[in-house]
Amino acid sequence: MALNVKVGLIGKFDMLKFKNMAKTREKAIQAAPAKEVKGSFPINENAKKLHPDCQRLVVDEIIDHKSAGAKTFVFRRLDGEPFPYFRAGQYLSLKLPIDGSFVTRSYSLCSSPKDALKGKAAITVRSNPGGFVADRLLAELNVGDELTASDPQGFFYYEDLRDADTVIGLAGGSGITPFLSMARAIRDGVEDFKLTLLYGSRDEESILFKKELDEIAAQCPKFKVVHVLSDAETAGYEHGFITAELIQKYAPADKEYSVFLCGPEAMYRFLKPEIAKLGLPERLFRRKMIDVTKTPWELEGYPAACRDKVFDLVVKQGAAEYHIKASANEPVLTAVERAGIKAPSRCRSGECGWCRSKLVSGTVFVPQENELRRWADVEYGYIHPCSSFPTSDLVLEVPGEFY
Amino acid sequence: MAKYDVVVVGAGNAGLSAALQCQIAGKKTLLIEQHNLPGGAASSFRRGRFEIEPSLHEICDYGPANNPGDVRNILDAYGVKLEWIEVPDCYRCISTYSDGSPMDVVMPAGIGPFIDAMEKYVPGSRARMETLFDLFQEVLDGIAYITASKGHADSKVLQAKYPNMLRTGAYSTKKVFDALKLPQKAQDILSIYWSYLGVDMEHLAFIHYAAMVHKYVSRGAYIPKHTSHQISTAMVERFRELGGQVWFNCRAEEFLFDGDRLCGVKTNLGQIDCRYVLANINPDIIYGKMMPKELVPEREKKLSAARNGRFGGRMYTAYFCCDKSAEELGIKDYNTFLPGTADSRKEYENIMGGMKTNDYSIFLCYNVINPDFSPEGTCVCSFTTFGSPVDWNDLSQEDYFKFKTDGAKKMLRILKEKMGVDLTGHIEEMAVASPWTFARYLNAPEGAVYGYETADWDGMMARMMMLGQDYPIKGLRPIGAAGPRGDGYSAAYICGQLMAQSAIRELNAEEGGNK
Repeated sequence: MALNVKVGLIGKFDMLKFKNMAKTREKAIQAAPAKEVKGSFPINENAKKLHPDCQRLVVDEIIDHKSAGAKTFVFRRLDGEPFPYFRAGQYLSLKLPIDGSFVTRSYSLCSSPKDALKGKAAITVRSNPGGFVADRLLAELNVGDELTASDPQGFFYYEDLRDADTVIGLAGGSGITPFLSMARAIRDGVEDFKLTLLYGSRDEESILFKKELDEIAAQCPKFKVVHVLSDAETAGYEHGFITAELIQKYAPADKEYSVFLCGPEAMYRFLKPEIAKLGLPERLFRRKMIDVTKTPWELEGYPAACRDKVFDLVVKQGAAEYHIKASANEPVLTAVERAGIKAPSRCRSGECGWCRSKLVSGTVFVPQENELRRWADVEYGYIHPCSSFPTSDLVLEVPGEFY
Repeated sequence: MAKYDVVVVGAGNAGLSAALQCQIAGKKTLLIEQHNLPGGAASSFRRGRFEIEPSLHEICDYGPANNPGDVRNILDAYGVKLEWIEVPDCYRCISTYSDGSPMDVVMPAGIGPFIDAMEKYVPGSRARMETLFDLFQEVLDGIAYITASKGHADSKVLQAKYPNMLRTGAYSTKKVFDALKLPQKAQDILSIYWSYLGVDMEHLAFIHYAAMVHKYVSRGAYIPKHTSHQISTAMVERFRELGGQVWFNCRAEEFLFDGDRLCGVKTNLGQIDCRYVLANINPDIIYGKMMPKELVPEREKKLSAARNGRFGGRMYTAYFCCDKSAEELGIKDYNTFLPGTADSRKEYENIMGGMKTNDYSIFLCYNVINPDFSPEGTCVCSFTTFGSPVDWNDLSQEDYFKFKTDGAKKMLRILKEKMGVDLTGHIEEMAVASPWTFARYLNAPEGAVYGYETADWDGMMARMMMLGQDYPIKGLRPIGAAGPRGDGYSAAYICGQLMAQSAIRELNAEEGGNK
């Protein structure tokens, strides 16, 4: 039997109804008022406030940690808006014009998320002789100065569905800052987990935020700090380096714990075998990704012949094209920044992917620990210039920026 | 200054398709994208040692080589090649039937097996199911005819060849199912896909639903091997190969006009001159923010007002990367629908009531069909549901992170209750994307990736019939989920191509006129 479906009693009316769909629609449209179309929606506005393209910040206060060779810069927003709320442990990427270059540097927020609601956010910068940025900021950034920063970024934060109730934090030097934010967040009731911090410093003098860390520990049973001094044997402090043994001394013996790590590259290299001794599943170990290495030739797989070479780099951005040089010893991004090109970048570790660019031709070396590209990006020749070292002449298409 | 025939604004699925179509037609085409990645929601992101698919569950219109669907045909025509994986079953659904009794069904792909399974779950449904699939086929053929006729369908042909489509096409899915006297339980099982279109069965046009279900069942579903970012990147690279240019992190700020005709785009990378813009942007945003108010036609203002912010599919998705394999966790199915009830109207209302009442989710585990999706001994899962403005409009930043995680906790709880699968204690990486997240990355109004609801008077067929009337601005056409084909990957690829073809015709006519 031929198919014969009717919905109404008389199929002819159904057909008419079909034919009239356009008329029905036009009627509904014409019945509406010709109001101005509003192009903004609360959900979109909320998203923009939480994740602005960039923010103009003003230095509101500077706290000098003289003996530790560091300063804390407290910012407010130039537009007077609250600072975007964030997860304790996240960082800001500062976008700085220095000597004709446009460079970015990431600094963990050390303030409590609660302060963001009051319009304040803080980072701490420690002296780094020979570096391009830190000492300039320490010497030249004054109260009232303005600068541009990203929204809060990164995945180094506590998540109760994922992490154990107890976190053993391993901090080295200025790697204390994300943990300070976490400790403050625990104190403020923003975060709810047990944090035992093993904080490595050279000596008592160079401990950053000692007073505040001790104060929070005194008033807040969920937070504990253990100072570990490498260069001094002082009563009341652990001595030496942070080791598996030391972690086990302070970790709960009877239940799961997470280990969070933030510190300088040397500390990461030293702790890698120590962490392995703990036998933790990967899910219980998190580390703050740090800037790509400055000595790529020390890594496995580096084509030794490339070291110290200088290559030709063509950078295309929109309709513009730049012909510059790129040293094999530095990430491609550094060459781009030095040429004064405003290219996107945030984490400088390969993690965030914000600098993702099309490698039109040429080859690069990507350290294994920074190989965090997507499958298809590897397949179709996209690189993260922040963590790729040139090993030939390159042609690169970089995305635009919004500041 | 940069000068192009066509600028495609937005490299979402429709934008990618449109850009390829224009470049192939010999138009000098620039594709600009406000994000640093192509695809919009067709993308991926990394967490630790995992790569996560943000949005794609399955593509319904790809099909095997011997029974290609529109998407396969389109990608073939563009010369876009990548590796696909076939999804063996249509879906599993654990829910309750409308009468309150428990439902746990696995519906296989293939019309025969699908009808067989239905007969098993709902004895006596076979004959009516066969009629339904015959009707689906006629509807699909009818839509193909109407699409091919580009707005000039011959009503005599329609009446002679597609009378059943004409008789059912103006009704809701629910009405047609009732008219076919499909047993309620079969209706419940059949209605599961409603959420892929975001409109419940009482308001969703039968013709739209029929087309989608038939494609899923008859052609099976497919996913790319390496997330939807692979599709998007493959399309971008093919576009480059054909001579097209792509600028990422390039945001269109304003459309520029010469009189009432579009002549360019202002962006953060400078001004671009062009003759035509195909904008993968919701029309409300274009009219409200991106062009001179006095040039927005009266009817377009009315169209927007008539839609009255009725957006579909404000997405909420939670992603979990686990340090145990799917097998170890007891996950056997690729996609499992976990609605509180199979009554789509009730579910829709529960969803719109906010997270408190929302008990809807779709659970996916990519490793079930793609063992290489994550490192050995691990798997990647996701839950998808919809958000409601009730929750997300006035939520404070202070409460945002906790609210996001609470939703994920609820889904994990439902999974444990319904499937006995417990992911807690195995979560190595996780992320939650809320309507704010989708709004942030896609700039879709309210984070609604489905465009305007294809409900009632504004259904797909009615939009198709009025292709010539909507969006009458010279040199500017919106494309994407807000377009005639509605939401979904397949719809977006088709829409992009369709609208690009119209643009190309207009440009060619002009060029002919100038000679």
